[in-house]
Amino acid sequence: MTTPNNASPACATEITLKDLNTENPRWCPGCGDFGILNALKHFIVERQLKPESIVNVSGIGCSGRAPNYLNTYGVHSIHGRAITVATGLSLTRPDLSVFIHSGDGDSMSIGGNHLVHGINKNFNCVFLMYDNEIYALTKNQTSPTTRKDHPTSTQPFGSVLNALNPLTVALGLGASFVASTADWMPDHLGNTIKAAYDHPGFAFVHICQRCVHFDPTNFDLKSSSWYTFLKHANGIAPDNRLASKTETLEHDPADIVTAFKFAGAERRYFGLFYQDKNKPRYDEALRGITAKATKKDRSTLLDPYLI
Amino acid sequence: MAIEKRSVTRFELLMDAGFGAQKSGDILLSAFVAMGKYVYVEPMIPAEISPLPRSKPALSGVIIRLADFDITNIGNNSDLTIAAHEIILSRRLDDGEYNPQGIFLLDTGDREKNPESYEAVLKRCAKDGLNVITFDMDEASKAILQSIGGKGQNIFYLGMLSYIYNMDEDIVKNEIEKTFGKKLKPDVMEKNIGLYHNGYQLAKGLDLLRYQIDSTPREGDKILIDGNTALSLGVIDAGFKLFSGYPITPASSVMHTLARELPAYGGHVHQAEDEIAAIGAAIGAYFGGTPSITATSGPGLSLKQEFIGFAQAAEIPIVILDVQRGGPSTGMPTKTEQSDLLAAAFGSHGDHTKIVISVANVIDCFYAPHVARYLTEKLRLPVFIMSDFQTANSYKVISKPRLVQLNNVNDIPDFVLERFHLKRLPENIEMVLTLQSIPGTPGGMRRVTGLTTDIQGHVSTFSKASQRSHEVRNEKLHHVQRALTAPEIFGADTNDLLIVGWGSTRGAIEEAVGLAQKQGLKVSGLHLRIVYPLPLMLKEVLSRFKKVMSVEVAYGDALKPSPLALLLRSEALVDIQPLMAQATGRPVRPKVIVERVKEVLK
Repeated sequence: MTTPNNASPACATEITLKDLNTENPRWCPGCGDFGILNALKHFIVERQLKPESIVNVSGIGCSGRAPNYLNTYGVHSIHGRAITVATGLSLTRPDLSVFIHSGDGDSMSIGGNHLVHGINKNFNCVFLMYDNEIYALTKNQTSPTTRKDHPTSTQPFGSVLNALNPLTVALGLGASFVASTADWMPDHLGNTIKAAYDHPGFAFVHICQRCVHFDPTNFDLKSSSWYTFLKHANGIAPDNRLASKTETLEHDPADIVTAFKFAGAERRYFGLFYQDKNKPRYDEALRGITAKATKKDRSTLLDPYLI
Repeated sequence: MAIEKRSVTRFELLMDAGFGAQKSGDILLSAFVAMGKYVYVEPMIPAEISPLPRSKPALSGVIIRLADFDITNIGNNSDLTIAAHEIILSRRLDDGEYNPQGIFLLDTGDREKNPESYEAVLKRCAKDGLNVITFDMDEASKAILQSIGGKGQNIFYLGMLSYIYNMDEDIVKNEIEKTFGKKLKPDVMEKNIGLYHNGYQLAKGLDLLRYQIDSTPREGDKILIDGNTALSLGVIDAGFKLFSGYPITPASSVMHTLARELPAYGGHVHQAEDEIAAIGAAIGAYFGGTPSITATSGPGLSLKQEFIGFAQAAEIPIVILDVQRGGPSTGMPTKTEQSDLLAAAFGSHGDHTKIVISVANVIDCFYAPHVARYLTEKLRLPVFIMSDFQTANSYKVISKPRLVQLNNVNDIPDFVLERFHLKRLPENIEMVLTLQSIPGTPGGMRRVTGLTTDIQGHVSTFSKASQRSHEVRNEKLHHVQRALTAPEIFGADTNDLLIVGWGSTRGAIEEAVGLAQKQGLKVSGLHLRIVYPLPLMLKEVLSRFKKVMSVEVAYGDALKPSPLALLLRSEALVDIQPLMAQATGRPVRPKVIVERVKEVLK
């Protein structure tokens, strides 16, 4: 494929936050998505990743807009299908860093099948799940992660089902990296993105994200008593600002049994639940098949069919 | 008995699935080709893997058209049929593709299982005046069959056909050994050869009419290939580096071939979790600069539609191969139809700016991927390659196509474009987004979205941005219209009747026009390879004929035009009725077209 020559010259050698700006995000003031966007920008600057080597891929919803607000490459695709687009990119362009931005409806409802197989394929990417526990861009409908009895536009007498738990789902599917964090704790969010980026494979990052418009009281930011930070030498450090205000617990991310216990608990836990750096990767395996194949030249393509 | 010389004939072998009819077909095909005959083979494949034997759905068979000249289609009626039992014979009689003066050889080995059923079918044949010859495998052969697990009738029938078609026994035996040599132990192979000889002798004893088709020496390199294999190899020659698919009949065999072959040429085959994921991965990879193709059939096309719309808006190249089958819904997975035309051209919500290429034969299958890649990368619009069950599965001997080994699409040779009646597109075609760099290009960072955008790619709901995006996308389509040259015409440029078709009906239309002209009928034929958009001069071309009618393997009637008729009526303002709009799952037959032409011109 040819590349048009109309690309502007490369920006200065040092990447700054300003270099990553595109236009003003069109999220509601106070939306948790700003926190996620900023954490990602800070991570790119801290690591000095080349913007041209990053592709942000998203589906539909408030989270889906994220790629438009980062001056990297980006594909704002269709509802629920970001993982499929990222699979193709990760497989054919291992030189690129692929981030997936997906909401709770996008990944747990319409895109559920792709989440199952993205996790199972364990292709290399960072999967950021923006979980505001509501359909927001379509105006306040019940999502798979909406808490039971919470009234919405589509279930005004209270959401009917118990919320689906993204963490136990991911662990149950055999995810090689499962972490949880929140949009309002930039230090922890940043450290989580770092750990996810350094993980070889599908890094599932669950992010509690505030929807200030439709469900402003869902997450109590004034208090820290309702959550616990998980910590470990191989884990993610508790948030520097909030750790002293609540409990922290030692958890070895190699321990899947305890990981399930914390993930399925009533109480919220933030940190690294589980990590397996040795889980086979689909993208690597397919490239391996090609690398190992005895090379053939197209000039003899039809010779086996000669009569 | 005497040997009758024929220029062209057709026969079929009908068996239960799982008993090797397809293998026999492969052996016959290779042997005939080795003897210098022209052959066109159509397999009849059941929709299930192991249907109950001695039932109508169990039919697995092969139709072989044999000629001393190059043939383009499976032809008309079978002059000879071998049926393993009465039930599948009866099923094929229902299709009505037999020569009433032809011969039906019915194996009565199963007679004791249901004598009444045999009587009923024989009575039916007698009533229709058909020449049925019953036969029973000799005791020695039955003993051999029992000793090798009950399967081997196909080789016995092969022996019969070898006698009837005056085949060189050494060539056939050589092909049997080539086919089974590695799989069978020497003693089992010997028993199979025994069955072959016994079949030959049995046919000889029946005192049957034999056929002689002259051999034609052929110059240059020849290859023996089916449509889906040709397409797979075309994908490699056209420089695609990713095939992304999901199993579906009859497209799957493309994925099978490429799974074996593509890695050796530096590419990957991705089996996705569903049809949507298959096209999503291909679009993602193409955004990353890797030429990518996805393939599907029937229901898979419906599932891919949202992504096809996205690719138009985001200006990401993508090629979709649709091997059509019977529809709607699950329809008939192993039968042919051309009813996806409108779904390809107009499917997906919102405006439609897609290009639809069709293939008429195996050579088209080889070159369609090149043209599709050229168009999708130059225009950044989705491009369809429309094949169908018939083209995908039919085998043919062709001159070895000239290899292209395409890397940069600008290097596509003229002869490939001309095959699809296309001129080169202009340089610097305007895109909705000015920046079209691929990831990794420094300073070229850009975002694509399915939302409407302005020229810089910023999401926009402003009226001017929306209207401009539509204009630019449609102008890309108009570039194709302007690059299309006059479509292929068989017969006179002006006439009383013109029959039009697209895709796989080309061979039958060409042959029908030839037959009709010999009978003095004032009819011409027109065939479209690129079927959307249509060439600008089409209206003028159609206006040179007093009447225009379509031939399609898709449903249509007097009150509802079939897909091509509907498209041509709207685009050319010509009152086009279907001459044939059949959805039987069977290919159209030249002689049937001629009969209809006669009725119309009466």
